[in-house]
Amino acid sequence: MWKKIYEWLDERLGLNAMYTNLLDRPEPRGNWWNTLGSASLFLFVLQGLTGIFLTVYYTPSPDHAYDSITYIMEGVAFGWLIRGIHHWGATLMVVVVFIHMLRVFVTASFKYPRELTWLIGIGLFLTTLGMGFTGYLLPWNQRAFWATTVGTQIAGTAPLVGEFILKALRGGPDLSALTLQRFFSGHIWMLPAALAGLIGVHLYLIIRHGESYYPNKED
Amino acid sequence: MNNETKKKLNERYERELNRGERFWPDTIFKDVIVSIGIFTLLIILATFVGVSPEPKADPSDTSYIPRPEWYFLFLFKFLALYGQIPLLGKIEWIATVLVPGIAIGVLTLLPFIEKNPNRYYGKRVLPISIMAIMVVGIVLLTLLSDVPTVSADGSTLLGTLQAISGLVIPGLAMVLLFLMSFVFKTTTRLMVWTTVLAAVSMILISGTVLALAPAPEVAETEVPTTLVDQIVAGQDLYSVHCTECHGDDGSVAVIEGVEGLEGEKITPINSRDVLYTITDSAMSEVIAYGRPNAGMTPFGKAYGGELSKSEIDYMIVFMRYMWDDRFEAPKLKPLFPALAEGEVPSYNVHIQPIVKRYCVSCHREGKTNNNYLMTSYEEILTTGDNVANNIIAGDENSYLLQVIQEHPIMNPEKPDEELIRVMPLNRTLKPNIVDVFIRWIMNGMPQTAEEAATLSTTPTPAVTPTP
Repeated sequence: MWKKIYEWLDERLGLNAMYTNLLDRPEPRGNWWNTLGSASLFLFVLQGLTGIFLTVYYTPSPDHAYDSITYIMEGVAFGWLIRGIHHWGATLMVVVVFIHMLRVFVTASFKYPRELTWLIGIGLFLTTLGMGFTGYLLPWNQRAFWATTVGTQIAGTAPLVGEFILKALRGGPDLSALTLQRFFSGHIWMLPAALAGLIGVHLYLIIRHGESYYPNKED
Repeated sequence: MNNETKKKLNERYERELNRGERFWPDTIFKDVIVSIGIFTLLIILATFVGVSPEPKADPSDTSYIPRPEWYFLFLFKFLALYGQIPLLGKIEWIATVLVPGIAIGVLTLLPFIEKNPNRYYGKRVLPISIMAIMVVGIVLLTLLSDVPTVSADGSTLLGTLQAISGLVIPGLAMVLLFLMSFVFKTTTRLMVWTTVLAAVSMILISGTVLALAPAPEVAETEVPTTLVDQIVAGQDLYSVHCTECHGDDGSVAVIEGVEGLEGEKITPINSRDVLYTITDSAMSEVIAYGRPNAGMTPFGKAYGGELSKSEIDYMIVFMRYMWDDRFEAPKLKPLFPALAEGEVPSYNVHIQPIVKRYCVSCHREGKTNNNYLMTSYEEILTTGDNVANNIIAGDENSYLLQVIQEHPIMNPEKPDEELIRVMPLNRTLKPNIVDVFIRWIMNGMPQTAEEAATLSTTPTPAVTPTP
């Protein structure tokens, strides 16, 4: 019975081909440091899932953002857990992605033929920081408000384009409802979309070239 | 890179694959273990550390010290240290845009800058040394982010030390490493020692700075998150800031006993006229901006008052749940635990909450109150123009007890003139509150619950202090 169902699905989906191409591949002898990439992916998925739950109650407006988060923490069943995981997951994701980058740097895994994987990886790192930066404002509390104030101020010191960057980030000269709205949009649509796309390419390149091996004196 | 090198690298990779493992299950097994570990760690953090509550954003509160996210703190500190450099320090964008831009640019283009095929760390001393110094620097700058560059006494010693460990040593070390690598062509051993020396001296100096730095003031602000906490917080704030004019239940229609506003007619703020027609946000604006033409001063920080946005919000929550009949108030704890027969009340448990709600609004700094302040135990006993007669242990003719029982104190020199009027001005205290004051003064004004318990004539049940 199960075999029949499997065969029916395999005929249409090509499960066997997927198994041989994606899973049953040879890899160089593994190393625990090599798990940091998949750990970053896991954190991305976890942040996505908890983030989706949070949008059920979160309201991106200066009048209600703070209260909606208080409600998530106090009123919603296990809301504190979901928010807690999202909060700490953000911190951990920055740490894990950064250490992953250090590992790739130290083992020189960015060299031929994985140069493009490194470029995409830098994009992933910067987008992750962008996720942290945009997400930090959303609770609309004092810490968030003033952190974003100085953050955008620093971006605004760039010569020539600084003024434009500042206004584009804030949606005006000051932090306002517009800032919150566009940080929210960036945090839940633009940056995750960019992140997901880049992760796709990153994974494709990893499967194509295989994981790098741990170098020794020969290399 | 020529094709021959590429071929050699690919063959080398094939050799590694042949003595390697399978992606499934070997590699995935490790990945799953690490992911489960991370998930467990997150649940532990979310459960036992949690997310610390913060007050609501208040754009008008310029006293708040802004700090960026923790992973940008090193950049913030770098900026502060860079700003100390004479002349160059004035050109801000070098530190905010140029230096980070170059760092990210070099990092991005790394595969095209470091083009040799060497992967073994022994053959890559220069890049790894530079990165090591960068990482040590980033970690140290993050740790130092709370230490000011100019101490409270105006000394710039800490700032100079920070600049040495955060800018000068790493900068010099990097230049030196480049020179050693390209100009002097020294041995790798010497470069490694230079890196270690630089990193250790950076850590030592930063450690000294951290040890010398004054402990940062931890201003723990309690943030009421539950409805009950918010109502209580709102009531406390209302008692201090509003009772003087509006009365403790908002029912005052004609202001009494407030200098400059005597006899002013106002709409009772606990009436439907106010509560049904003014929305929360409008009410927040009224409290923040005041009604200067009608004599109400601004209370919001934005207009020179004392209250933050959150604090005004708590007051509105309190007004809604206590006076607006469309809202159902949750069960609140009584102001103070009821007294048993023969029990002696204490300042901490009984008097303080009562005084805070009914007296402090006028009896604090900056109000007309015969210089009688009531914000602490010491003040209640030792301030005021009539301090000698005000509170006398065991004397029921103490002025305080007289005036709260509706007996004004007459001026001994001019018998027609009231020296102290009946208190509180707009209302009479409930008998159980007056009873608390009487028992407290008659038994010698104990401060703590323990002192009060020893004075009590019958064993008192354990009292839980009201927050």
